[in-house]
Amino acid sequence: MKKISLSKGIRAMGYSFILGVSLLSSSISANNSLAYSTVQQQPSKISGIITDGVGPLPGVTIAVKGRFLTAISDYNGEYVIAANPTDILVFSFMGFKTIEISISSQKIVNVQLKEDATVLQEVKVNAGYYSVKEKERTGSIARITAKDIESQPVTNVLAAMQGRMAGVSIVQDAGTAGGGFTIRIRGQNSLRSDANEPLYIINGVPYSSENIGFSETSTATLGATSPLNSINPSDIESIDVLKDADATAIYGSRGANGVVLITTKKGKVGQTTFTVNASSGVGKITRFLDLMHTQEYLAMREQAFANDAIAVYPEAAYDINGTWNKNRYTDWQKELIGGTAEINALQGSVSGGSTQTQYLLSGTYRKETTVMPGDFQYNKGSAHFSMNHAASDGKFKAQFSASYTTQKNDQPAADLTYAARSLAPNAPALYTENAELNWENGTWNNPLANLNQKFTSRTYDLFSNAVLTYSIVKNLELKSNFGYTDTKNNEKRTIPSTIYNPSYGMTSSSSSLYTNNTARRSWLIEPQLNYNLHRNKHKIEALVGATAQSTTTERLHVIGYGFSSNALISDLASASLRLVFTSDENIYKYQAFYARINYNYDKRYILNATGRRDGSSRFGDGKQFATFGAIGAAWLFSNENFLKDNRIMSYGKLRGSYGVTGSDQIGDYQFHDTYVSSGNAYQGVIGLQPSRLFNPNFGWESNRKLEVAIDAGFFHDRIFLTAAWFRNRSGNQLVGIPLPGTTGFNVLNANLNATVQNTGLEFTLQAANFQTVNFKWSTAINITANQNKLLSFPNLQSSPYSNSYKIGQPLSIQKVYHFSGLNPQTGMYEFDDVNGDGAIAAPEDKETIANLSPKYFGGFQNTFNYKNFQFDFLFQFVKQQGVKYLPGPGGGMTNQLQAVSNSWQQTGDSSSQQKLTTGLNYDIISAYYNFTESDGAITDASYLRLKNISLSYDVPLPPSSKIKCRLSLQGQNILTITPYDGDPEFKFAGYLPPLKMYTANVQLTF
Amino acid sequence: MNHYTNYPNKKGNSIRILALFLILTYFSSCDSFVEVALPSSQLTGDLVFKDKNTANAALIDIYAKMRDTGLLSGNLTGTSTSLGLYADELNYYGPVTDTGGSLYNNTLMATDANVMQIWNITYGQIYAANSIIAGMLDAPISKVDRDQLIAEGLFIRSLLYFYLTNTFGDVPYITSTDYRVNSIAPRVEIQTIYASIIADLKLASSLIQENYQAQGRVRPNRATVNALLARVYLYTNQWEESVSTASAVLNQSEYSLELPIAQVFLKESPSTIWQFGPKFEGNNTDFGITFIFNSGPPPFVALTEGLINAFEENDQRKLYWTTAVTNNVKTWYYSSKYTQNGFTGVSIEYPIVFRIQEQYLIRAEGNARLGRLTEAKEDLDKVRIAAGLIVTNAVTQQEIIDAILRERRVEFFGEYGSRFYDLKRTGNLNEALSTVKLGWNVNDALFPIPENEILINPNLKPQNSGY
Repeated sequence: MKKISLSKGIRAMGYSFILGVSLLSSSISANNSLAYSTVQQQPSKISGIITDGVGPLPGVTIAVKGRFLTAISDYNGEYVIAANPTDILVFSFMGFKTIEISISSQKIVNVQLKEDATVLQEVKVNAGYYSVKEKERTGSIARITAKDIESQPVTNVLAAMQGRMAGVSIVQDAGTAGGGFTIRIRGQNSLRSDANEPLYIINGVPYSSENIGFSETSTATLGATSPLNSINPSDIESIDVLKDADATAIYGSRGANGVVLITTKKGKVGQTTFTVNASSGVGKITRFLDLMHTQEYLAMREQAFANDAIAVYPEAAYDINGTWNKNRYTDWQKELIGGTAEINALQGSVSGGSTQTQYLLSGTYRKETTVMPGDFQYNKGSAHFSMNHAASDGKFKAQFSASYTTQKNDQPAADLTYAARSLAPNAPALYTENAELNWENGTWNNPLANLNQKFTSRTYDLFSNAVLTYSIVKNLELKSNFGYTDTKNNEKRTIPSTIYNPSYGMTSSSSSLYTNNTARRSWLIEPQLNYNLHRNKHKIEALVGATAQSTTTERLHVIGYGFSSNALISDLASASLRLVFTSDENIYKYQAFYARINYNYDKRYILNATGRRDGSSRFGDGKQFATFGAIGAAWLFSNENFLKDNRIMSYGKLRGSYGVTGSDQIGDYQFHDTYVSSGNAYQGVIGLQPSRLFNPNFGWESNRKLEVAIDAGFFHDRIFLTAAWFRNRSGNQLVGIPLPGTTGFNVLNANLNATVQNTGLEFTLQAANFQTVNFKWSTAINITANQNKLLSFPNLQSSPYSNSYKIGQPLSIQKVYHFSGLNPQTGMYEFDDVNGDGAIAAPEDKETIANLSPKYFGGFQNTFNYKNFQFDFLFQFVKQQGVKYLPGPGGGMTNQLQAVSNSWQQTGDSSSQQKLTTGLNYDIISAYYNFTESDGAITDASYLRLKNISLSYDVPLPPSSKIKCRLSLQGQNILTITPYDGDPEFKFAGYLPPLKMYTANVQLTF
Repeated sequence: MNHYTNYPNKKGNSIRILALFLILTYFSSCDSFVEVALPSSQLTGDLVFKDKNTANAALIDIYAKMRDTGLLSGNLTGTSTSLGLYADELNYYGPVTDTGGSLYNNTLMATDANVMQIWNITYGQIYAANSIIAGMLDAPISKVDRDQLIAEGLFIRSLLYFYLTNTFGDVPYITSTDYRVNSIAPRVEIQTIYASIIADLKLASSLIQENYQAQGRVRPNRATVNALLARVYLYTNQWEESVSTASAVLNQSEYSLELPIAQVFLKESPSTIWQFGPKFEGNNTDFGITFIFNSGPPPFVALTEGLINAFEENDQRKLYWTTAVTNNVKTWYYSSKYTQNGFTGVSIEYPIVFRIQEQYLIRAEGNARLGRLTEAKEDLDKVRIAAGLIVTNAVTQQEIIDAILRERRVEFFGEYGSRFYDLKRTGNLNEALSTVKLGWNVNDALFPIPENEILINPNLKPQNSGY
C-alpha cells in the first residue's frame, strides 16, 4: 500500500507543480476577461430579507461573486445590493452555512440560512465514551483539528498542539528527531516527576506512554521517546484534551493528569477522492550562544593562570601552552550543530464510499536528517486504513480502523551540543589531511568520535480497533469497542573502540554493543450500553460499560563485548561475549465499570454524572479497587427568556464540575518484595539483587478537581469567549519518597499524606474579525495562568522533603542561596549567611525560594483569508524563570559566554563575573557552585515565539476539472524573542534545542 | 451487570452481539483478573533465602557489583584511581571540569556527582550484605552453608565500612535493612565503627571455612577475613593484634611471595589471598582499561614523577609494574601491574584485593612499632628481596618504620588508596601533599558528605569541615 501511494505521490507531485503554475496564469487571464465583460452590463437593484427560520438575521454579508461588492443585512434582516442577472449572490454568516444563489431575472431574493453543524457550537466534541455537542457540554475539553495540524511541518503531533490549547503546557525535550516532549495538563499534580503523564487514547484504545527504551541504548533521545511519534499527524482528524473532573472522571484512575483523545481520519460519503501531499524543507538551530573567540578565550586563560599564580603552563593545558595553535579559531557551534536538517514528507490517501460504507486508505513517508555532521536520518512510514459500515436498516454499524507505523531512527548516540559549547575555540581540526579523525596526538577527545557511536532504533506500531454498534430497540444501543495494539522496538547502540582516544590502544576486542528488543501487546474489550430518551423538554442520555484491558511487555536487553572487527559491531552473533541484561515479561491488567447519566431540561439546565470503579494489578491485596466519579452541571442562560434573541449576546453558558480521579502510574509489581536477576555474572553465576525497598501498603492516589467556567458568544458567536477557573487537589499521593543513600536505595514507593493544589485560570477568545466573501480574518487567543501549591504535608520538617518543599509554595520551587553580589575586594561571589555561622552551606543558608514553573503561557493565532490565499500565524508565549547557562567556573579549559571576559581582575574592580581560576582555587570554585544554586543563577527565561507561520494558496481551477491544488509555505519556531541567552525552551541543558523549520508543500486532491 | 442481558431481544443479530458483551461477565465475576503472577525474572525475598543456590546468587551479586562499581572498582568511583589522583600517585590529563579534575586539584564539592555515587553505591552494597546476614539467620539450609554466607556478608560489610570511614570519616553505621531506621541514621565515630568491624570480622573468622569455596580464590576464606582484620588492627594502632593476625595468615602455606614480580598480578599468583572473579571468561580488569595507554600525552592519568622517583635502583617493581611511554620529547609512566586492557579469550588477570605482601608489611610494621626490630626487618627484607632489592639498611626503630612506609608506597601504588590512607593514619598527609599538590589544604583529609544526603537526612550534620 505504501509503495503504491509513494510512487503515485512522486508523480503527482511533479504534475502538481506544473498544474499549479499553468492554472495560476490561466486563472489570472480568466479574471481579467470577466472583469472586462461585466463593465458592459447595467447592474440592477436586488433586495430581500434574510431569516434563520425563526426571525430576521442582521449582520449577514451579501457579496457578488467575483467582484468587490458587498452589503450587510440590517436590523430587520433586509438588504439591498446592485448586481447583474448573470451574477451569483453569496450569503455568509458566522454559524450558518454559506449559500450561493444565481440571480437571473429575480429582483427580490429572500433567503433562509441554516445553522452550520460544523460551526463551533454545533460541533460534536469527543469525550471518549460519548460525544457531546459543544454547546451542551458540561466538562472542560480543548480541541484541535486536522486543519490546525496540517499547517505545521511537524513529525510529532504534540509539537502541533504547542500554544494552541489553554491549560496544556508542552515543552520539547530536545531537538533530536524522534525525541520526547513533556506535556502537563493543568500543572504538575504528582510529586513523582514521572507520574504526570496524561492518558493517551487512540480511537478509544489506550496507548501506553511508558518508555519502551533501555537506558543503555536510547542515549540519543534522552530515554523517553514520545509515544505520539507512532502516530502520523496527517492521519489525525482531531485531538481532544479532557481537563476537568466532569470530562476525566469516566477514565477514573487514569484520568488524574488529563486525557488526550486522538481520533484518526475516516472516509467520507462521496466519489473516490485522491489526495497527494508532498512537502520538503529545512531545519536549523534557533539560536546560538555568544561564546568567546580565541583571543578572548586565551586572554581568559592567561588571566586564570595569573590569578592562580602559575607561571609555567602545565603539561595538560594544551590550549595555551603552545601544543595547539593559538591562532586557530573554530566556531564549534556552527561546526557541530550548525548544519541544516532536511525534511521530506509525502502523503497520499484515497477515500470515498456510499452512504452505507465508507473507507479511507492513506500512506505517509517522512524523512528528517539532523543538524549534526554525518549521515543520520529519521525515517517514518505509515499506513492507515479506516472503514465504516452501516446496515441498510441503520440498526447495525461497524467501524474499523488500523494503522501501522514503522520508524527507523539512526542518530549519533551522543548529542554534540555540549561539545559545541564547551570546546576551546582553538581546539584542533576535526580531520587530518587524510580525512581521518584528528586526535592531535591524543591531546583532545575529538567530538566527532562520538558519531562512531551509533544509535539505531526501529519501532513498529500497530493500532487497530473495531467498534460494533447495534441499536436494540429505539433509544437503546449496544456498542462494543475492541482494541489491539502491538508495539515492537528494536534498538542498538554500538560503542566501537574507535571512539576512544587512540593512545589507550584499544582494539575491536574492547568494542561493545547494547541491544534492546521490547515488544508490548495490549488488548482491550469495552462493551457499552447507551440509552437516550427525549420527551418534551426532558432529554436523558445514559450509558454503562465495562473495560477489560491487559498489557504485556516483553523485554530482552543483551550486551555484546569484543568483536574481531569493528565492521561486525552491529552483529550480536559476532560478539565474543554476550550478556543478557534483562529478559522478562511484565503484565499489567486493568478492569473497570463505568457509567454516565446526563439530564438536559429544556436545553437550559444540564446535569452530567459520571463514575467508574477501577481495579489495577499494580496494587497489592485489598488495594486493587477504587471508585471515582464526578458531577457536572451547566446552565445555558442564553436560552432563558430574558436573553433569548438578544442582539448582542448570542450564547451564554455557566458550567461547573467536581469530582475525583486517580492515578496508578507507579509501575508494575512494585508492591512485591522481590529479588530480580541483576544480569551481572560472577563465578559463572548470574546474580540476584533486591529490587526495591519493600512496602506493600500503597494504593490509589486521588485527585479532586473543581471547575467553574463560563462560555459566552456575542454577535452570533462571532466573538466567543471561554473563561475557566479550576482547582485540582491531589492527595494520598503515590510517590517515590526520596531516601538517603544509607537505606541502600534512593526511593521508597508509598502514599504520601500530602496535598498538592493546582489552581488556574484559562481564557480563550475566538473572534471572526472580518467576514466577507473575499476577505476573512479571525483571531484566537488562549492564556493560562497556573498556580501550584503544597497545601499540607504532615511532618514536612522531619521528612526527606524538608529541604525541597515548603508549605504554601509550589512543588517546582528550589531553595537556593541568596546571591548578595560580587565582593570587589576578593573578587568572589557572596551570599547571605542566613544562620550566621560564617560558612555558606546547605540547607541552613538556602532559604531563598525560586520558582521555576511558568507564571502564564498561551498562544495568539491569526488567520487571514483573501480570495484563494490563506495566511496563518501563531505566537506562543511563556512567562517563566529559568536557570542561566553556566558551563563551569570561568578560567578552566572550557569555552565561556563572552560576558565572562569582563571578569574581576584586581581589588576594587566592580564586575558581574567573579575572579577566574584554572580549577585550583577551591574558594572560587565553591563560590561558583554556590552561585549556580543561588537566585543569582536564575533569570528571566520568558519568551515570545513565532511558533508557526503558514501561507497557502488554493490554485483556482475550473470547477469541471474536479482537481484541487493547494500550495503552501510553512515555518515552525521561526522567531524567538527572549531575554534568555540560548534557547529558552529546553528541558535538559546541553542538548539540542528545538529546531526552526521551513517547508514548502503541494497538496493535490482529485 | 446481568440485568442488562434481560432486555428483550427480537433479532438473532443482537443475541450474537450480546454474547460478546457477556464475555465481560467473566471478568466482572472474579477479582482475580487484576491479580498477576510475578514475572519469571523475579523471586520473592523469602524464597531467595530458602535455597542455598539462590542465596549464593544474591551474595555473588555483591561481589560482581563491588568489582564493577564503587570503592574497590577500577573506574573513577574506585579508590585506586580517585585517591591516586587525590594524593600524589597520579597526574591528570582529562577535562578539568570532570570529577577527575576536582580530585586532582583537591577541589571536591559536596555536590559532586561522583562523590554522591560512591556513597550511594557503597550503601547499596552494604544493604545487600545486610539482607543476606538477616535472611540467613533462620534460613532452612545446612549450618555450614549458612555460616559461610553469614561470614561472607559480615566480611563484605566490614571491608566496605573500612574504606568508607577512611574516606569520609564518621559515617552512619548501618546493620539493618529497615529503611525507617536507616533513613535517619546519624554519623558514628570512626573508633566505634572500627570496634564494630573488628567484632564482625572476629565472628566471620570463626564462621567462615578455612578453605576456598571456589576455584581461583575468588571467594573469601578465613585467611582473607584475617588479612582485613590484621589491616584494621594496624590502622587502629593495635600492634600486637596486627602482628598475631597477620601471622595467622602468613602461616598458611598456600601463600607465597617467592615468585617473579611479573607474575604477581596474574590470576594464578600464589601471593593472592583474595581476588574478584571476572564478569566472564576472557575479561580482564578495569584497572588495565583505566591505566594503560600506549602513546603520549596520556589520555587520562599517568603516574607522578614523585612516585617514579620513589623506586630504588634495580627495583623489579619499577621495571615490571610501571611502563614508560614516550613521544621523544617527554616520557610518561603508567601502572602496568595489570597488563591487559581487552578481551583475551581466557582471562589472564583478575582484580586482586588482598595479597600476602601486605601481611608481611603489616607484621613488619607492627613489630617495628613494638620495638621488635629484628623481626620487623626480617619481614621487610622478604618483600624487598622478592622485588630484587638488597636488604634494608635501616637501623633505628624510626628508620625501620620509615623504610616500611616507603616500601608500602612502591609496593601498593595504584591499589585501593593505600598511599593516601598510609599518609593519613601516620599523620603525614599535610606534610607530604601540601608541597606537591597546589590545591591541597588541611581540610582535604576527608571527602565531603554528599550534600543531598545531608538535605534528606539532617542527622548527618555537621558537614566535614571545609566543605
